[in-house]
Amino acid sequence: MLRYIVRRLLIMPVLLIGVTVLIFLMLSMLTPYERASLYVQDIPKRQGAIDGIIEKYGLNDPIPVQYYHWMVGRKDKATGEIKGGVLRGNLGWSKVGKSSVAKVIGRRLPATAELALWAIAPLIGLSVWMGVVAAVHHNRFLDQILRVTAIGGWSIPTFVFGLLVLMLFYARLGWFPPERLSDWALRIVQSGEFARYTQMNSLDALLNLRFDIFFDSLRHLILPVMTLSVVSWAFLLRVTRSSMLDVLRQDYMTTARAKGLAEGEVIRRHAVPNGLIPVITVGGLTLIGLFNGVVITETVFCYPGMGSFLAQAALSLDVVSVLGITLFSSFVLVFGNLLVDVLYGVVDPRIRLQ
Amino acid sequence: MKVVKRLLKNPTSLTGILLLFAFVIIAIAAPWFAPTPPKSRDAYMIPRDGFSTAPKPPSDKHIMGTTEGQYDIYYGVIWGTRTAFRIGVVITLFTAIIGLLIGSISAFYGGWLDEILMRITEVFQAFPFLLAAITLTSVLQTIYGRGEAGPLMFLAKLLALVTFGQSPVQAVDPVQLQILTGMLAIIFFGWMTYARVIRGNILAVKEFDYALAARTIGASDMRILFRHLLPNAVFPVLVIASMNIGSYVLTFAALSFLGLGAQRGYADWGQMISFARNWVPSLAEHWYIVVYPGTVIVLFVLAWNLVGDALRDVLDPRLTGSRA
Repeated sequence: MLRYIVRRLLIMPVLLIGVTVLIFLMLSMLTPYERASLYVQDIPKRQGAIDGIIEKYGLNDPIPVQYYHWMVGRKDKATGEIKGGVLRGNLGWSKVGKSSVAKVIGRRLPATAELALWAIAPLIGLSVWMGVVAAVHHNRFLDQILRVTAIGGWSIPTFVFGLLVLMLFYARLGWFPPERLSDWALRIVQSGEFARYTQMNSLDALLNLRFDIFFDSLRHLILPVMTLSVVSWAFLLRVTRSSMLDVLRQDYMTTARAKGLAEGEVIRRHAVPNGLIPVITVGGLTLIGLFNGVVITETVFCYPGMGSFLAQAALSLDVVSVLGITLFSSFVLVFGNLLVDVLYGVVDPRIRLQ
Repeated sequence: MKVVKRLLKNPTSLTGILLLFAFVIIAIAAPWFAPTPPKSRDAYMIPRDGFSTAPKPPSDKHIMGTTEGQYDIYYGVIWGTRTAFRIGVVITLFTAIIGLLIGSISAFYGGWLDEILMRITEVFQAFPFLLAAITLTSVLQTIYGRGEAGPLMFLAKLLALVTFGQSPVQAVDPVQLQILTGMLAIIFFGWMTYARVIRGNILAVKEFDYALAARTIGASDMRILFRHLLPNAVFPVLVIASMNIGSYVLTFAALSFLGLGAQRGYADWGQMISFARNWVPSLAEHWYIVVYPGTVIVLFVLAWNLVGDALRDVLDPRLTGSRA
């Protein structure tokens, strides 16, 4: 087990370095002038001043040298201050966010995390449960229905789904509005009396014992959470179903039945634990699906998270912001994948012992 | 032939095939279904009926209504079919070729080359796909926006030749260039599944006796690779390709929806739906700006998914359950 984890841990730095190299290669396709916002806030208009900045930050140096400075930062000869440096958490200056990219991420991340947090548990619970039900009812009516909805959910673009639920539940019925909070709640949240522990509205409201705000934030979260989950739900349902079907054909299922266990017991105790193993392996893919979904969902719902910021920055060709956020997301993904791999090893002894 | 027969027998794949068939007909007969107005310079630019902002509901003149800016939805839906096919097929073609090259080199030569290529593949997979595509699109648009892009222009021209049949001698049309940047980005981050599957497949096939036999009679590396190993790895590529076309079209539509893909007014489904972003509070009234383009895009992707799914079951029962 230890060796397995160590091997995973050893691959990780290679991946992380690879990710930064690829991001930097994309950066190096820009002109030195465009790259200047890696280090400076306001890029001057005057040619002389621009040349000065390019000179000062070595934006014309050979690419490997620039990569090194981009990673560890660059010391200002006059003031001794170190500027830039991905390793020091400095991702450059965001034109669209009008502050450093790291700050923008810090400001926008809680909203996105809140969305993902509310999506993940119901997503996994529902899809796994439905997948099991479909497999148990293999080729019968319930299975057919679930299969068709899953393949439909897999085919519907996130933005179409988001707009359709907005059309129905917001524009027509007026039940669930877009954005993050109603105006009245927003006023309270932004006032000094409301303590912001996590920056996630729903959790903060609970911690402040403001249940009215909690329910208001839930009301705003329902549609985006649904939209974000739909694709991953369809995906997980199908994975669970087919892996359960494999398990149900195994000999040990017959053994379990032969020794007189009730069918429900056989499914719960023998089939489901084995059937869920492949569901963990696709955890990384589900995570990618959530990342992709966040960008679209937040854009559709005008939800002020990291994803909608990325879309906005990309549209304004604020490449430094876009690359910064993508770099950050890839790091999160690499760590998430590590977690999935380790979890896989914990759950499945066959992997552990290899 | 056996494969085709089994695909036609299965009701879900039959639905998929019929849907695809309908889309092919729509794409081919687009000028007949939705004639281009005589004064139009580019058939793929949706004709406008006036310039007023508010969308107009379906009427005799515009059977599916018009979007913001009075672009005819019916025209866009019809001609958008061609755009979807072009984008899906061309991206699949390029990703498959890149994946084939990397996967087969990796498996065939093995050793450190295999190690390096596979680590590179893993790095590419460490990116969230859509985010990576968005990033590269914005980088490429910055570069192409400068007007001179050096060697990258060659790539754009190659892609323009394959996608639009545009002669490389001509300068690339800026409208097309914006679509090409999105496609390039998806291709750049979309080849990894092929590479891994091909590699695994060739590694398995390499151990078979006939590969060894070919080697003993002195066949060259290239000959073994192209005549003996690759043909055996083609079916899995077909399966992945058919399943991926839908997801490439979806990704491109997402780029368009965000404003990074096709230009405003181009016959592209994602682009048409992006108009709806400005009309969210009144969507109940303007439902047609989402429902019509949304339905065709769902049906198109659904068709490919149904066919891909069935093809997977028919061609390789072992693949069941893995979808990546």
